[in-house]
Amino acid sequence: MHRESVSINAVISVVRDYLVLVMIAALVAITAVIEPKFMSGANLVNIMRQFGPLIMVSLGMTFVIIGGFIDLSVAGTINLVAVVTISLIQPLGQVPALLIGLTIGAVCGGLNSALILSSGALTQAEALFITFGMSTVYSAIALLYSGGSTMHFWDISASKSVFEAIGGGNVGFLSVSFVIFLVCLALLWVFQTKTSEGRAICLTGGNKTAARLAGVQVSRAIVVIYMICGLMAGVGAIVLFSRITTAAPVIGAGYETNAILSVVVGGTTLKGGKGSVLRTVMGVLLVILMSNCLDLLGVSSYLQYAVKGAILVFAIWLDNRKQA
Amino acid sequence: MDTVGSEVILTIKGVSKSFPGVRALDGVSVDVRRGTVHGIVGENGAGKSTLMKILSGVYQKDSGKVVFDGQTIEHTTPQESMHRGLAIIYQELNLVNTMSVGENIFLGRFKEMKGMRGTHAKAGELLESIGCKISTSKLVSELSVSEKQMVEIAKALSFKSKLIIMDEPSSSLTGEEMCELIKIIHQLKAQGISIIYISHKLDEIFDFCDIVTVMRDGHVIDTKPKVDFTRDDLITKMVGRTIENEYPERPRCAGDTLMEVQSINTHKLHDISFTLRKGEILGLVGLVGAGRTEIVRALYGADKVRGHRVLIKGKPVTIRNPKEAKDAGFGFIPEDRKLQGLVLPFSVESNISMASISNFSKFGFIRKSLEKGIGTRQVKALNVKTPSTRVPVRNLSGGNQQKCIVGRWMEISPSIFIMDEPTKGIDVGAKYEIYSLMKEIAERGGAIILISSELPEVLNMSNRVLTIFEGRITGEFDPESTSVDKIMKAALGIVGGCA
Repeated sequence: MHRESVSINAVISVVRDYLVLVMIAALVAITAVIEPKFMSGANLVNIMRQFGPLIMVSLGMTFVIIGGFIDLSVAGTINLVAVVTISLIQPLGQVPALLIGLTIGAVCGGLNSALILSSGALTQAEALFITFGMSTVYSAIALLYSGGSTMHFWDISASKSVFEAIGGGNVGFLSVSFVIFLVCLALLWVFQTKTSEGRAICLTGGNKTAARLAGVQVSRAIVVIYMICGLMAGVGAIVLFSRITTAAPVIGAGYETNAILSVVVGGTTLKGGKGSVLRTVMGVLLVILMSNCLDLLGVSSYLQYAVKGAILVFAIWLDNRKQA
Repeated sequence: MDTVGSEVILTIKGVSKSFPGVRALDGVSVDVRRGTVHGIVGENGAGKSTLMKILSGVYQKDSGKVVFDGQTIEHTTPQESMHRGLAIIYQELNLVNTMSVGENIFLGRFKEMKGMRGTHAKAGELLESIGCKISTSKLVSELSVSEKQMVEIAKALSFKSKLIIMDEPSSSLTGEEMCELIKIIHQLKAQGISIIYISHKLDEIFDFCDIVTVMRDGHVIDTKPKVDFTRDDLITKMVGRTIENEYPERPRCAGDTLMEVQSINTHKLHDISFTLRKGEILGLVGLVGAGRTEIVRALYGADKVRGHRVLIKGKPVTIRNPKEAKDAGFGFIPEDRKLQGLVLPFSVESNISMASISNFSKFGFIRKSLEKGIGTRQVKALNVKTPSTRVPVRNLSGGNQQKCIVGRWMEISPSIFIMDEPTKGIDVGAKYEIYSLMKEIAERGGAIILISSELPEVLNMSNRVLTIFEGRITGEFDPESTSVDKIMKAALGIVGGCA
């Protein structure tokens, strides 16, 4: 009887762990039956393209959440990186513009961590407010810099082939943005699971005090997670404006909530310590498939917000149940 | 022993409980009689806490029968148990720090008390009935640990409790506070209230328990009136083998000066200077809150303290954070195992390898096989009882958890090992193992700074003790040649001086 209860528990925990996969499969099956257009080549390519920006931001967010913190500033970072990068293509050339854009992303993240560390705001709630404030600051800088106007690719006479490739190019049958995603995923997965810094991040998320007293460099881990998050928001910004060929200073709105939604739905706990970038891929897939399906089924976007919110709450509820 | 024959208030019959991979309780049967103090002793992992959690409704039993006050209890919740008259006071007290004493006692029952005035009046009466003079409007965060315990007891009484379970109530009390608690326990007993008293401290068991139940590995080994037990008998039954001594012989290998600490000053510490020799165990004795922990935290770089000087082997070192302390050769066992020592959801292995990550990483990459080796080696060397190194450290008993923390540091062999309450809440057998380890460390040439609220522990293990009172060093003694009285007086700030 004792053994039986162990195996039943094991089954329950496996089902819980792979709930997202089950939900994805169910969603795909139902939509494919109701709306055959779902399985069309055009729609699948569309899904792959939508995948781009959100997955980049979510991968970065995964680190912050594993480290026990949260970052609401990614929307502001995306706004800032997008408008600055696109404006620099003409005067500096595309590669310098790209590098400067990525640097700005990392610097924004670094600034967040510096504020968190110097103010001693070492709880997730405090980090939430600090990064929320910084998001407004970054967005404001983006608005001031661009004068509030949207910049288009067709205004740029200099070569923008790199961005055009990121936005619409293919490598074999994969889009360039998908290849960028695969490379980022591989690097970040190795970083999280195989390096000592990745371990320090997990330990920090698991118990900051204990990690610090065991001589783990907690402050450095906090700087690293925010810089990764900022950098990945920068990558996301570039993928995003390359795809839509314009950059407005409000381009990143909503990405912070969608990224957090994806990470949590994927099964990384908001309590920190445990989680994985691979889980986040599942989470993003579910979130994107869901909006795609709901779009195809003609569900209004207002109702879609409600569905997303409900799923986030459900995911957090499930996570808390798991802990108890 | 007039009370022993009285009626039974609680019957536990054949209760079993399993957790994944562990059989925590196996057919446990105990009777608790009205108006008695019933001591339950056993090593960590013996199942005491599990049994109490089943009684209070935190866990549900797998099988067996519980009868409380004539009622058979099947499924229950902590709230129901409270209202039924069965209260439990946990080691980590469950009070709301930001609310007043009165509000805590009648939490969620203000309406029944007819508002705040009634609440405070009734709370005052309850506190007075146990001879406690805390103002009911004081915030709980301002209370000492013992005062908080009084509030918990008053809260239990407010439910007209017939049985109060106290889970290691003395682990953070000073001697004087303990006397207060004993007085209250006697009063409760006189009112016909039964008490289940869980403790590791045999002195307390012999001091005021009427009946003693010994548990080991999920079984009840014996239940007898206290007078029928001898001390050795009790220890043997607890650990399942004979333990000759509670303490190993203290190491005698103090050598040259290893570290010199010069004038640590903070708002709580005043001019703390001392030396530490190679191979020495230095004990810090003082009341809780005297500043013992602050001293070692300052040394270790855990708190921001500036202006003091530390010389190791004659060379000045700067320690601004625990990482620098670790690099300078420090090891640190923090006061609070669960909050400061362990990452509870993580595996035994990663908790052990935490401090030595750089030992098994190359170019920033972790080498899993080496890490696994470290985990297995320490688990074996320290005799940690765990099904594997991959289970969460949360599943282990207190003593085994503590061994994981010790093992973490053994892996990098620190030359100065700070141990803040290393045996808090762990059982006799595991204690002896930790003492033996301390001896081993000292004999290998390491030095230990030992803080403990258990005076016998410090006096039996240390080569030298410093007494701390209100942030000052009030004396330095050789525990072998000084009377306990003299040391205690210095620790209480009554007289200073050197032996």
